[in-house]
Amino acid sequence: MDTEKIPRVLVVDDEKGLRVGTGRLLEMEGFSVQTAENGTEGILLGTREDFDLAIIDMKMPDIDGIEVLRKIRKSKPNTVCFIATAYASYETAIEATRIGAFGYIPKPFSPEELIQQLNKGYSQRLLLLESEKLKKEREENLLELAGEKSRLNAIINAIISGVIVVNKTGEIVYFNHAAIKNLNLDELNIGDRYEEKMPQKVNDLIEEIISSEIKTQKSLAIQIEIIKPNELIAEIICTPVLHPDGSFAGVVLVIRNITEMKKIEIIKSQFISMVAHELKTPVAAVQGFLNILIDDRFNIGYEKQKEYLSRSVVRLSSLLDLVNDLLDISRMETKSKKREIEKLNVPEIIDNCIITLELEIKKKSIRIIRNTLQQECNLFADSNEITRVFTNLLSNAIKYNKDKGSISINIEENKNFIIARIEDTGIGMKPEEKDKLFQEFFRAKNENTRGISGTGLGLTIVRRIIESYHGKMEVESTYGIGTAFTIYLPKSYK
Amino acid sequence: MSIREKIKKLLIVDDDIDLLEQHKMLMESKGFKVVTAESGKQGYDVFLHEKPDAAIVDLIMEESDSGFVLCHRIKRTEYGKKIPVFMLTSATYETGFKFSAATDEEKEWIKCDGIINKPVVVEELLQKLENFYSK
Repeated sequence: MDTEKIPRVLVVDDEKGLRVGTGRLLEMEGFSVQTAENGTEGILLGTREDFDLAIIDMKMPDIDGIEVLRKIRKSKPNTVCFIATAYASYETAIEATRIGAFGYIPKPFSPEELIQQLNKGYSQRLLLLESEKLKKEREENLLELAGEKSRLNAIINAIISGVIVVNKTGEIVYFNHAAIKNLNLDELNIGDRYEEKMPQKVNDLIEEIISSEIKTQKSLAIQIEIIKPNELIAEIICTPVLHPDGSFAGVVLVIRNITEMKKIEIIKSQFISMVAHELKTPVAAVQGFLNILIDDRFNIGYEKQKEYLSRSVVRLSSLLDLVNDLLDISRMETKSKKREIEKLNVPEIIDNCIITLELEIKKKSIRIIRNTLQQECNLFADSNEITRVFTNLLSNAIKYNKDKGSISINIEENKNFIIARIEDTGIGMKPEEKDKLFQEFFRAKNENTRGISGTGLGLTIVRRIIESYHGKMEVESTYGIGTAFTIYLPKSYK
Repeated sequence: MSIREKIKKLLIVDDDIDLLEQHKMLMESKGFKVVTAESGKQGYDVFLHEKPDAAIVDLIMEESDSGFVLCHRIKRTEYGKKIPVFMLTSATYETGFKFSAATDEEKEWIKCDGIINKPVVVEELLQKLENFYSK
């Protein structure tokens, strides 16, 4: 008998003498006993508590023992039950065993007989409990495994990159939804051949891995334009999967959508191409002049020599302007220059800009009209940047103005913004020119713009500065009439 | 027959007046008569009027494709098909512009007989003109 635990026994018997006597006997033998004086009470106790053992009298006035046995077995299948009866018969024994009684104790029984039967029954009970425990553990393990698998599935399906697993015979054995999306496939099924679903270039990589003699865990990667032109670009990385013993299991493909990244790359490289082109042209012009000047065969006069040199100087200074603009853009992009935020008075900044541009204003006899009533319009920003914005806008208003034209400047403020409007009476823009206004290096080229120099980066810089302060800019223009820029700058910048 | 006998009059179109003047001087010093224009539009008018024996056209003028357009317009005329037309540009492979007018596919849409890099090397240009006639 288990020494650590006291076996708990339920005795169900309507005969008081037997009930009490059996109880005492069993307690003396080290059992813990509870008794029930009829079938109803027996069912109540036996289904409420998980007794180790139960001795059930067959004949009781209310409910018969077979029914009590049935109810207890149903509720507590691990309670080992004995049927006790004075009417011993072969049929009742068979019936009791069929319903699930472990043993059959004919009355009257001797104490030894009873104890011997109960000990046997208790061993059975311990076996039952043990097997129940194992069963439960196994179920829990299975549950955990299933949980692990579905968790893994959920994770892989949530990954934004596509995942496809191809086994060593070339069948697709696993994939997630992103794989279908990133490869723009109509459908994909477990068991499909990879050759029928993947782009040719990917097939070549998988083929290379499957057919290679030595399987290392080295990945092969490729970038493919899935939908042209540049609508969907995917990077596919193929990696061999090895079993723990090092044998080849298959290939895992990770499919990343790199369209946005590629688009930025293209814009960057286009910008660099434009820069190279813009830098090369003035250099070529200066080189051309110098070549003519040093070549004796041309034998040009002194006046012409001076003219070529001064034209070279003009080209070089515009080249220098371009380099400076590029440096400004680069500084803005890398944010390498620290902003010095201070309280600025916009009318004062504009006055200073006008002073620096005075020479050009006088050259074209341009009239400046200030419509601003307020002397003070304050905002918090970096003085250099705001000066740059107004210098560029005013310089454009001068350059693209007519001779004896005018520029009107209007500054007002509302609760959040300083609103500055700079309107010229210049050549204006055609609608298609206006659309291209903020493109880097775009400069309106038509019969009226000949001879106007510029880097093509002025408005790019203006826009970038304004946007970096979370402001905005509006352009109105009528071809032949003039252009007005309105900029909104937040008063406080955080 | 030397190239100078075949090409008496050369049209150069470029909106960069400095380069235009330099190229004009260079070619004149080699014995060519040079006519010039400063835009694609003007270039076509001069082409029709002057009937040059060869044309050199800058790519980026009033529009970024003015040179392309002008080449197309010249090559669409019966006369234009007979003369060498070269496109002048610093936008080449080196500076990241991916065209050369050398492949068959490019010849389909770039209607010129070759591309000349800026700044112009006169000997190279003369060689290209020679090649056109020896074809």
